Amino acid sequence: MEIGGNGHGALSPITPEVMRQLDFSEGQTIEAMRGANRRPIPDPDRWLTEEIQKSVLVTSLDSLVNWGRRSSLWPMNFGLACCAIEMICAAVSRFDIARFGMELFRASPRQADLMIVAGTVTWKMAPALRRIYDQMPEPKWVAAMGSCAICGGTFAQGYSVVPGVSRIVPVDVYIPGCPPRPDALIYGLMMLHKKIAKDSIARQARVG
Amino acid sequence: MWDTITNLLPLVGAALHDFLYGFLPGWLAYLLLGFIFIVILLVSILNTVLAFIWLERRGISRFQVRLGPDRVGPMGLLQPIADAVKLMTKEDIVPAGGDRAVHYLAAVLVFVPALLVFAVLPFAPGVVFADLNIGILYIIAIGSVGVIGVFMGGWASNNKYSLMGAMRAVAQMVSYEVPMVLSVIGVVMVAQSLSLEHIVQAQELPFILLQPLGFFIYFAAASAELNRTPMDLLEAESEIIAGYHVEYSGMKFALFFLAEYANALAVSIIVSTLFLGGWKLPLVPPYIALPLKIFAVFGLMLWIRSTLPRLRVDQLMGFAWKGLLPIALLNIFITGGELLIFKGYPSWLALVNIPLAALILFIWSRLFTIKIRATATSARPAPSARNV
Amino acid sequence: MTRDLSPFELAPLVQRELPSAAVSPTTPALMVEPGSLLAVARLLQESPTLKLDYLVSVTGVDYLDYLEVVYHLASIALNHRVVLKVQLPRGDKPTVPSLTSLWRGADLQEREVYDLMGVYFEGHPNLKRVFLWEGFVGHPLRKDFLY
Repeated sequence: MEIGGNGHGALSPITPEVMRQLDFSEGQTIEAMRGANRRPIPDPDRWLTEEIQKSVLVTSLDSLVNWGRRSSLWPMNFGLACCAIEMICAAVSRFDIARFGMELFRASPRQADLMIVAGTVTWKMAPALRRIYDQMPEPKWVAAMGSCAICGGTFAQGYSVVPGVSRIVPVDVYIPGCPPRPDALIYGLMMLHKKIAKDSIARQARVG
Repeated sequence: MWDTITNLLPLVGAALHDFLYGFLPGWLAYLLLGFIFIVILLVSILNTVLAFIWLERRGISRFQVRLGPDRVGPMGLLQPIADAVKLMTKEDIVPAGGDRAVHYLAAVLVFVPALLVFAVLPFAPGVVFADLNIGILYIIAIGSVGVIGVFMGGWASNNKYSLMGAMRAVAQMVSYEVPMVLSVIGVVMVAQSLSLEHIVQAQELPFILLQPLGFFIYFAAASAELNRTPMDLLEAESEIIAGYHVEYSGMKFALFFLAEYANALAVSIIVSTLFLGGWKLPLVPPYIALPLKIFAVFGLMLWIRSTLPRLRVDQLMGFAWKGLLPIALLNIFITGGELLIFKGYPSWLALVNIPLAALILFIWSRLFTIKIRATATSARPAPSARNV
Repeated sequence: MTRDLSPFELAPLVQRELPSAAVSPTTPALMVEPGSLLAVARLLQESPTLKLDYLVSVTGVDYLDYLEVVYHLASIALNHRVVLKVQLPRGDKPTVPSLTSLWRGADLQEREVYDLMGVYFEGHPNLKRVFLWEGFVGHPLRKDFLY
């Protein structure tokens, strides 16, 4: 899994042999991911219908924390294909997701809350995508934007395309369209806001 | 009546002082008074910083023909609060292989100097936490401590991008420190004092008119020190992701974020104090005049930020060493000569200095452009040589 | 407007400079045998009257009976262009000489053709897969590729 060294000690020179080994290990990682992810990861939404015993204190704290989390949902600066253009459109003047406090597209996954997977995910990109998801700190959300990210789209039967990003990361919101218009994206983000509003720190404590 | 209105803040302070010393032992009253003043100062700074964050997001939005945050609270005023709540409840990550202690310390070391600067800034006549007679020296010394925090953060993250960002930050801040200090020397020479209180008192005419060149140099160098957009190479997304705070999340990132705006606030106050006459404004009480000037200076920064594109690294360093440093030295020579000839620096020198500054800036901009182009073309290898 | 050089005018010119080169003009393109591709390409690049200094694209085509590699060349100085084509038998290792020594831009494009069509470029400094990963079996744009 380790690609590019871990930063300890002196940097080793990039010889053809090192390059070959890196390529080989990358290929093995991808093959392992293809083999392991035959079925989609279940969507993390079963808790939406669950009833949790909550005290008054927890409820009021929940409302404050969830308000903060959904009012400043910073997306990851991450676009893969044509859907990314629509995502960019959602950020500029006409649609302007800055109204919801979401204009701060963070370049570093450490500071992002939401990963909008905008576009076709290839198997070559899959380890990078999973890695970025793992680098994001909790709580984090994923929106699959467009047919390709939802199920592979027209490329679902292809040799190189991940049939749905839910094979790699758990997805919170699916936004259909090819590509979805910016207003569709904003509608999906509003659904995500509603989902965040229903969350509870009691549930999070119980889950992990 | 007018005196009471103008001196409202010192009067309230004196009343509090008398009240506490009335029934408490001297040492306890002293400690308590200091504590109360620190809390007042901190609360007002943090509130202004939050206002700055809101102003910046709304202002930039308006510059880009957008609406900006408007959903939380009236006109989106609660947006910085929502950000704070979110960041506080976010997971805190120290990267594997990173230096845990230094990683924590860096965020604190960036934030604390940003607050310490406010100790010597005069907010109204007599309203200053500590009236040091070397106030400017203190500000410059404390202001450059933040670089160490930035470098510690970049190094402790165990990430090559953060280290590169930190290196850039150190190079940039050390370079711009020199013209910044040299531009302040002109002001000090005219005011004949290093104390900020005296500098404000000395400004019958705001020093922006007497020292226009100094104002330009200080403003350019200070906005480079703040790492704001025309010069934010240390966090250039397209080159090094997020710079020195790549690996910072949650509250530690919030500290970096707050420190950036606290520094912007400090620079706004320093510029107002040194060049715009501080709390002095005809017919306006000082506690309204200073905020007006602070927000005007911050608005100017905002305007520059939303107008100018990002510089290249060599342009940035060239601007400091080839552009600002020589005219800063020239400014000292001119000011010194004028002081030598005209004792006491009369106000009509503004009529000389403003055209002189415009002329020097014009000539220098010509020279500077030519220099950059010449080096850029000669340094590039011929295409045929690169082909093989 | 960029002029298209006629392969019928170009072929005698190439033949005169390089008598050993095996070229044959067709309507859209100049057909070159794999063995003389490098020499012809160098001639086209260096000739002062042609100056084809820019390699626009390298493409591979599968015609079931044979494979074909297509080179689009253009001259920025003289504003004209020409198409070179190389036909290859569908052996287990179809090989053409690499043009990376003439145009550095050929590097990635030849890797792409290798990756997806399985054409080997002899003399390429770093011939390995670009879009797919090490360990992928087969070359997916071949018509006999099954997934």
